[in-house]
Amino acid sequence: MNFKYDNNNKYHRLGKNILVVLASLIIFVELWWFIAELIDSRVLPTPPETFAALKDFLANGYLNISAWDYISSSLVLFLKGFLLAFVVAVPLGLVLGFSKTLNTFVTPIVEVLRPIAPMAWAPIFIYGISYGTGPILVVFIGIFFPLLTNIIFGVKKIDPTLVDAARTLGANKMQVFTKVMAPSSIPYVMNGIKVGLGVGWMCIVAAEMYSPVAIGVGYCISNMCMSGLWDSTFAILIIIAILGILTTSLSEYLQKYISKRMGVE
Amino acid sequence: MDENTTCTGNECVQEGESFIRIDNLSKTYQKDEKVTVAIEDFDLDIKKGELISIVGPSGCGKTTILRMIAGLLEPTSGSISIAGRPCSGPGPDRGMVFQDFALLPWRSVRRNVELGLEIAGMPKEERKARAEKYLEIVGLQDFADSSINELSGGMKQRVGIARALVNNPDVILMDEPFGALDAQTRNIMQAGLVRILEKTDQTIIFITHSVDEAVFLSDRIVILTKRPAKIKEIVEIPWPRPRDRASPEFTALRKRILEELEKENVLQ
Ligand SMILES: Nc1ncnc2c1ncn2[C@@H]1O[C@H](COP(=O)(O)OP(=O)(O)OP(=O)(O)O)[C@@H](O)[C@H]1O
Ligand SMILES: [Mg+2]
Repeated sequence: MNFKYDNNNKYHRLGKNILVVLASLIIFVELWWFIAELIDSRVLPTPPETFAALKDFLANGYLNISAWDYISSSLVLFLKGFLLAFVVAVPLGLVLGFSKTLNTFVTPIVEVLRPIAPMAWAPIFIYGISYGTGPILVVFIGIFFPLLTNIIFGVKKIDPTLVDAARTLGANKMQVFTKVMAPSSIPYVMNGIKVGLGVGWMCIVAAEMYSPVAIGVGYCISNMCMSGLWDSTFAILIIIAILGILTTSLSEYLQKYISKRMGVE
Repeated sequence: MDENTTCTGNECVQEGESFIRIDNLSKTYQKDEKVTVAIEDFDLDIKKGELISIVGPSGCGKTTILRMIAGLLEPTSGSISIAGRPCSGPGPDRGMVFQDFALLPWRSVRRNVELGLEIAGMPKEERKARAEKYLEIVGLQDFADSSINELSGGMKQRVGIARALVNNPDVILMDEPFGALDAQTRNIMQAGLVRILEKTDQTIIFITHSVDEAVFLSDRIVILTKRPAKIKEIVEIPWPRPRDRASPEFTALRKRILEELEKENVLQ
């Protein structure tokens, strides 16, 4: 065979990347296996034990609840938290980027709240409000702050000559907003969403661990650990990782696509 | 609302009469303790259909004058009127072409040209047709659906010019519109602007650092002093366009204006 690697060929690059990723995953699993055999503890199952537990969980669920029910309830809570953060942060960020006075007024509040780890709110929201709404609010906090700061930053970065251009074409304040400010800030909104989704996904899993009832993959983790089902716990970790990768790649893809469509790269 | 003040009056003023009147215009910038007098007692009358260039030493206040005419900057004192109506605040009667193009990168070429019509609330089909007509005037009819990032600098500025023309403004204000372009593209753009002038009889105020460009394009050249900018001299150029850069009177005039500017720079 006389195959020659060509770095300018899209398919060659893709093929090479797939091989490298595969190699990385294989080495990861091998390493995990090696350590598991080495310490030989129930707490760290080997890859085959874990995959067996994963198959069992997907087929039979846990505590008479199906795997899909756990996964979907996590995803729904995550989505609700995200939507809530989105509808609050986008208008607020645009307004705060726009008005200096409001920004000065709100900044201290934001700066006091922002350093608090979203997870610190979890017990308050879950025991204090409800185990249904609590996790949503935790996700909200996790996504809200990165989204808000990105949007404010985006509005401040808007090229003032674009605003001048619209004004000399007769745009009023509202039109400057809809024709220039809002579209200019979309890539920053997308960047905020990308960062926010990553944080939010961590939050939902962690928040569910406080849940007193059987909802979500986070609940599975804490309950399985307490019951000594280490194999199953690791199976859940794999599910969490895969769903996390899917959300981040989706948002990354969307962000790149939209930035390109908006003419900013 | 000052943004809604319109100074339309294209029809009521005949060519040759004073159309734009700038009276006693002054601008002082104040930032904390630092006071900068940019313009002092600036008077200028501009006729309809005239292309008037403003040249002057760097930092003397050319952009300041143009932004005040555009309504983007409030004068400290003085007034500007078009066809007898005072203007304050920006409006579609005064189009502007920017040195760095100021195009919206998320819009296609045609949708950039349509922007002013969209703002004015013109129906979709009508503004599309109108935008296409002006894209043809600037020679970009084949690029209507291209994205801005695919265009060269010269093409971008042609979009900028079409975007200003499409509103049929009383005057187009150009602040070093070809300053970001290479010498060759610049010459092509100047020739293109001369052709547009033949077709549209547009009144233009044109700021430039290039005396050559000013002599090539202008009906009159306003030479400014160093800051605070005052009018040093106004040079009338009655020659028809297109002009021959190699002609003796062209080179002689260019040399004389350059010398005038040189004196301003030496004094600094
Ligand atoms: N917003 C501002 N605040 C304070 N001073 C300003 C401001 N804008 C301009 N100036 C000052 O006013 C003077 C005139 O500026 P202007 O931009 O009008 O000059 P210009 O002739 O266009 O210069 P250039 O040839 O470099 O484009 C300069 O000294 C500048 O520093
Ligand atoms: Mg300038």
